[in-house]
Amino acid sequence: MISWFKQLDELLRGKRTEPGQLAEDRVNLPLRTFVSLAIILGALYGFFMGWYALLNREPADYMQLLAAVIKLPALFLLTLVVTFPSLYVFNALVGCRMTMTSTLRLLVGAVVVNVTVAASLGPILGFFTLSTTSYPFMIVLNIVLLAVAGFVALGFLLHTLRRVALRPLNWTELPKTSSTEDESEDDAARMPGPLEHIESDPSGLGPANSVFKIWVLLYGLVGAQMGWLLRPFIGSPDLPFEWFRERDGNFFSAAIEHLSHLIGAN
Amino acid sequence: MTGALLRVDQFLRGAGQFHPAASARRPWWWLPLMILSFAALYGAFMGSFHYVTAARTWQVFYSAIKVPMLLIATSLLCLPGFFVINTLLGLRDDFRESLQAIFSGQAGLSVVLAALAPMTRFWYFSSESYRGALLFNAAMFTVATLAGHLVSARYYKVLIARHRHHRIAHRAWLITYALVGIQMGWTLRPFVGSPDVPTSFFRDEPFSNAYIVIVQLVFGS
Repeated sequence: MISWFKQLDELLRGKRTEPGQLAEDRVNLPLRTFVSLAIILGALYGFFMGWYALLNREPADYMQLLAAVIKLPALFLLTLVVTFPSLYVFNALVGCRMTMTSTLRLLVGAVVVNVTVAASLGPILGFFTLSTTSYPFMIVLNIVLLAVAGFVALGFLLHTLRRVALRPLNWTELPKTSSTEDESEDDAARMPGPLEHIESDPSGLGPANSVFKIWVLLYGLVGAQMGWLLRPFIGSPDLPFEWFRERDGNFFSAAIEHLSHLIGAN
Repeated sequence: MTGALLRVDQFLRGAGQFHPAASARRPWWWLPLMILSFAALYGAFMGSFHYVTAARTWQVFYSAIKVPMLLIATSLLCLPGFFVINTLLGLRDDFRESLQAIFSGQAGLSVVLAALAPMTRFWYFSSESYRGALLFNAAMFTVATLAGHLVSARYYKVLIARHRHHRIAHRAWLITYALVGIQMGWTLRPFVGSPDVPTSFFRDEPFSNAYIVIVQLVFGS
């Protein structure tokens, strides 16, 4: 367990996606550890999300809390299961050099980054839950927090893909090219963070950028709809507990509706 | 005591131990200590509105506890996210100094608040209006927040020169801190204490959301 968190720390600090590590065409993210981490951290965010049903339903709805704890990691991992085959095929078509296992590992890594950021924002969500009864506000806040986490994860994915796309020969030269003259000496020894842009020949990045765009589109659309299918996560105070709601509507129309409701437009 | 005040003076000037480049020599406990003591000082003054009965003495105590609590609790809630963002941006090696920079900002805010405390008391002397007292305190907090931001920017300047991503981390901190701080202030109210309501630590009403209150005030629903 402690070693898992050490590995998570290495992922967050960028040690696992260092240019040198990626050069050998493998992504050093053991699946068992990182899938477990995704479940634990996703469940942690789900835990904070589930507080709302504890505080705003009579009697306190522990089932909804449990459902949120289970559903949140499920949302990310099921979306990955649904989209992975197509993600991999596009990746191969466009000419990215990653093997199937590395692709999967990289994607799981991005999910872990996503849920880690979300879990670290969890205390803020918990605090707002304690002091808010408005259901639309909680929905909008959750969307905002998860969107922030999602964008950070996208940054991680894009930069890692670009690093993979670079030619292995370039790795040895990286420390010199990345530090400019006005930076101090110890900066040359600094390890690039996982979100750091590494200067490189832009011609090699074409495939990485296309793969990224395709992935974001696919994962985003499926993820949003998956979230819609798995609802309720927070649990409307007016409705009884259900594991799943009726299958109608979609994510985007509902998000807009809640937002307009919050600013009192209807 | 004089030594302590000299240290605060050094802190305000950003000199000696508090020079932005001298992070290694800085005693870490000094910043939280400044936040606790100076914010409490302002809190005591803040709670002295309409100080006419003995019962109002409690408001002085409560506010002296609540102002530091507001700053510390908001920081604690924002720290996990700040830590993860710093790590992801590759700034973990500087995390100690980043913490010093953000806490310096809050210590600066507290010192400036304490310095403004006589002004607040003076305002209370000249006006009995509760609404006026609230607005005046809001103005004092705005001034102190800006000053605190200047102090923390002093330390962040060194960090940003070292790595440009510190700018992103600093902004992320400011945004989350403001988001949580506003709600925290609302949750911990009353700080001034309306003269029409019996003195209490928290308002005797259910927790509510500051942003929704603002939206309702603006859109009038």
